[in-house]
Amino acid sequence: MVREADPSLNEKQFVLQSLKEGLRVDGRRPYDFRSLQLSFHSDFGHVQVQLGRTRVSAKVSAEVVRPRADKPTEGLLLFNTEISPMASPAFEVGRPSEEEVLISRTIEKALRRSRAVDTEGLCIVAGEKVWSIRVDLHFFDHEGNLVDCACIAAITALLHFRRPDVTVIGEEVTIHSLDQRNPVPLSVHHIPICVSFSFFDGGELLVVDPSILEEQIREGDMTIAMNIHKEICALSKAGGIPLEMDQIIRCSKIATTKTAEITEMIQKALADDKAKRQAK
Amino acid sequence: MSRLELLTPEGLRVDGRRPNELRKIIAKTSVLAQADGSAYIEQGNTKVLAAVYGPQEVRHRMQILHDRAIINVEFNVAPFSTSERKKRSKNDKYDNGIKLQTSQFPRSQIDIYLQVLQHDGGTLQACINAATMALIDAGIPMIDYVCASTAGCIDKQPVLDLNYLEESSDSPELTVAILPRTGKVNLMSMESRLHVDMLESVASLATEGCEQIHTILDAVVRDTTQHLKDSLMQ
Amino acid sequence: MDVQILSPEAPSKSNSHKNQNAMDVDGGDVQLVMPGETITSDLQFMRGHGTYLDSESTVISSVAGVVERVNKLISVRALKARYTGEIGDIVVGRITEVAPKRWKVNVNGRQDAILMLSAISLPGGIQRRKNEEDELQMRKFFAEGDMVAAEVQAFFVDGAIGLHTRGHQFSKLRNGSLVVVPSALVQRCKSHFHLLPCGVHLVLGLNGYIWVSKPVIGNPESTDEADIERTYSNKNDIIDDAERESIARVCNCLRALARKFMHINDTIIIYTYEASLKYPVKDLLKKDVVDSITSEASHKLTME
Repeated sequence: MVREADPSLNEKQFVLQSLKEGLRVDGRRPYDFRSLQLSFHSDFGHVQVQLGRTRVSAKVSAEVVRPRADKPTEGLLLFNTEISPMASPAFEVGRPSEEEVLISRTIEKALRRSRAVDTEGLCIVAGEKVWSIRVDLHFFDHEGNLVDCACIAAITALLHFRRPDVTVIGEEVTIHSLDQRNPVPLSVHHIPICVSFSFFDGGELLVVDPSILEEQIREGDMTIAMNIHKEICALSKAGGIPLEMDQIIRCSKIATTKTAEITEMIQKALADDKAKRQAK
Repeated sequence: MSRLELLTPEGLRVDGRRPNELRKIIAKTSVLAQADGSAYIEQGNTKVLAAVYGPQEVRHRMQILHDRAIINVEFNVAPFSTSERKKRSKNDKYDNGIKLQTSQFPRSQIDIYLQVLQHDGGTLQACINAATMALIDAGIPMIDYVCASTAGCIDKQPVLDLNYLEESSDSPELTVAILPRTGKVNLMSMESRLHVDMLESVASLATEGCEQIHTILDAVVRDTTQHLKDSLMQ
Repeated sequence: MDVQILSPEAPSKSNSHKNQNAMDVDGGDVQLVMPGETITSDLQFMRGHGTYLDSESTVISSVAGVVERVNKLISVRALKARYTGEIGDIVVGRITEVAPKRWKVNVNGRQDAILMLSAISLPGGIQRRKNEEDELQMRKFFAEGDMVAAEVQAFFVDGAIGLHTRGHQFSKLRNGSLVVVPSALVQRCKSHFHLLPCGVHLVLGLNGYIWVSKPVIGNPESTDEADIERTYSNKNDIIDDAERESIARVCNCLRALARKFMHINDTIIIYTYEASLKYPVKDLLKKDVVDSITSEASHKLTME
């Protein structure tokens, strides 16, 4: 495996020293996110999100499948992450790296386990036919904080997606093509947003939305997924330096405000896109 | 489907525990002959076996780190561990977040194998506790014990140490692992939704649980070590 | 896999907490500490193995074991841990790899020990620089899987143990079998090579590897060419049934002692051996027999 070269000691010292003075190398303040750009493609459910220079594209697709035997009335929601060496030489083709596994686990936890998407609404005929929604995440450029970027991409794509309408008459199921009937949006209960933190200097210093350099130097990390209702949908802090409980509580407060900001941005982008489509 | 009553009006839970009560814990160390250190833990009906090999020579030379040891964690859930008997993914990896002094063992490797024998909620916490015991048993230097406990929230009431029924009923579950000496949080992981204002009370309940577990584990390790020492000093 | 306690037996609850608050490091009583437990906050002490300092320079244990103090140096020894060598230790090891100009030897440590080509004695007993020819036929001396008795000579920068086998008592091991016990059980003593009265030769490796064998015939001190050739021989001598049985008996005695987690030295081995003579070899590892022979031996030891 190609191991990415660690930053030099000078670089490390520089980043740490400036953090101690409340500055970040890319000019942000500790609690600032990088600029967020959402761009929608012509078809529904295809979104590209750019967070600073980290770029992730999400594409949602739907197909009709048999439901799982133990949950006959629930549709399926699948996530698929694809990190190619295009994003960073540290990733390899075919073999998912540990980081990739962690990213997809966090996203699954945040979006599936918190029941962000109404899976029961995806049922067509109980025990026979349900929708299977598949979210493909492609990572194009890695400038740090893939998790947050991927989470924003995934949930925006799910919000943007429209599935074909279906009618059920008796046993017969008709799937209407897009030009026959207007496609219907998925019912999304809430919008979980991941906010990642990095900790330095024995847990004393923290930054939001770490860049790749900060990710390499950090001593510990934590990701909190939260929605606008101030509900924590997932929280994960594995390993790294031990933290005081107060620090974690403080992070959850920061996450609340960041979540509100990002949700607003996503909703605005979606509204803009809708207006643009109607104008056509 | 009728919703299961998880808390009785008297405030008791499905298995008759009070909200802030842990399940019964049985722990043993040195249960395996071959491993450098091993441990077996039962937390209620959740049963986990842990084995530690090493520090030893690194198996794949490519992976050698020149300033510290590499740590390998393999986690396996027995297919018979749940009532449903379904096959589970084998390589479900948990980063244990165990705080080791790995810098003391350059160029070596430590393997930790975890086997869930029976699953009744709180697998992660049981695995962390078992791994801690096994590492201590292997004589590997650690900053401190790493004690883990779960807590959840049922009807706005924080409850400690969820069992499988409570865990699967869509209630939030927070796993916390702490270093008891400093009380610092080593690992924290949560699933399902929990309001941010509840976080503090749930987390502090879990921390309390960790401290109780620490007392129990410490007594077990102390007894075992005492016993070994006694037989040595005979 | 059956889960059972092999060793130790279920601990007795009685005196487990009596040392908990013993802060008196000088006291005769041995202090037991657990990871994360404060040993002393006295600034005059220095930290040794098994401990670390926190921000207020309090000495804290990082393993579960007994506190040892040498002058101002405090260290904690874990009772069950891998072997950490000390210079001068006699160890028994197994060759795992033949590398350029060196052998790698498994000594139950945290990484393989290293035996340099320059640290072995050559057949012929002559001291000379090892040349290219020797390098090409290293497997003639030691090949992968060979057992060897050696002494810890030095430590490398990365903490690896450096061994040497110069001297007549160190050689390739044959004519016997290996018993592995926890390394903490083998005590440092004057000699680690013993010829027991029952005619069995022992190499008590401090790393917990013990070689039990038939003694090598011939005067080991002679520099006779034939004798030296024998140092690297792979051929077992003829071992008759009686010798085989005593070797097996000693092996099982060692395993019994290890199961009871008792210190191992030549005296206790002889006593255990004597106590075991009542039983056939194959019964020695039955639980009640283990109990009886080890308690008899330790009783005899305390009688002295």
